[in-house]
Amino acid sequence: MLMKAAWPLAAIALLSGCATKPQALYNYGTYSESYYAYKQDASAENLLAMQQAILTAIENANDSVSKRVAPGMYANLGYIYFKQGDTKQAVHYFEMEKGLYPESAHFMDRVIEKVRKAEAKGAKS
Amino acid sequence: MKYGKIAAVAASVFAAMIMTGCAAHNAGITKGEAFPQMYEEDPRSILVLPAMNESSDAEAKAYYATTIEMPIAQTGYYVFPMEMVSDVLKQEGVYDTELLYSMSADKFYDYFGADVVMFTRIKKWDVSYMVLASSLTVTIESEAYSTKTNEKLWDYDGSVTVDLTSNSGGGGLAGLLVQAIGTAINTAAADYVEYAHVANARLFFALPAGPYHPAHQTDQGVVIRKR
Repeated sequence: MLMKAAWPLAAIALLSGCATKPQALYNYGTYSESYYAYKQDASAENLLAMQQAILTAIENANDSVSKRVAPGMYANLGYIYFKQGDTKQAVHYFEMEKGLYPESAHFMDRVIEKVRKAEAKGAKS
Repeated sequence: MKYGKIAAVAASVFAAMIMTGCAAHNAGITKGEAFPQMYEEDPRSILVLPAMNESSDAEAKAYYATTIEMPIAQTGYYVFPMEMVSDVLKQEGVYDTELLYSMSADKFYDYFGADVVMFTRIKKWDVSYMVLASSLTVTIESEAYSTKTNEKLWDYDGSVTVDLTSNSGGGGLAGLLVQAIGTAINTAAADYVEYAHVANARLFFALPAGPYHPAHQTDQGVVIRKR
């Protein structure tokens, strides 16, 4: 795990030459590793592990240069809630993404609209 | 006289090298020279499309997708969430990545509101076996287009080659056999995704800093390798 994290860091250190080692703009925690595990095996267990990794990264967002939650993290979390059938939490986090990153508003609005439609359909049947 | 001149030239070259600092060893091009339109248009958000997989590994596309969000975000851009983007595209009936790559860039503004659409190609994601040595290579090529003008704003490539040959082999036929076994073991343990992260670091080092990065609009002088 440590070795994995060290690889990209080492590459960046090499590339930046004699510059001092920069601290990352955002803290992603173990998001990438958990996402990879989920891609290898899309089990409910791995989805839960990814959800936990994202929640932890969000909690530790201050441990970064920007002190902000990384782009896409709220959206990715919302999408996991959606997959788990929790549309209320899903919309909540899509709104959070939109609030923190206005660049996402167009896409998030479209996604929220889809969730609402899916909800309405579910209510009918 | 002559020596004095040479010494003076050498001294001034040396001074220039010191002044340019880290960049001196890299005979390349600056970000500003390479990608002027990127600075001019100053995009805020990047939509990365699922990669076009030209490698022999069918799973490369899905695995590579897990490595792309972070390096671009760390460069200061808003990156659209990869899993949502690929699922939405599938829901819209776009299963074939090649279809996406033939669409004009402005289409991606309509749906996602992205300033830039980024195409990535996995050129290599494989192990080459040779008699005495084997190596793992991950090579990624990338191009970014403006959704406003459809113009290419940026393109670059990143590659990593790792020698997988075991050093434990002795001479002769027995040595070869030991090497072949060692290589097989190393390959099984080798993690492509790990090296994709390194290839990405090389690739996106050449991306001008985005609006959320402290170096935004001030990194034109950073020297990169020529493509």
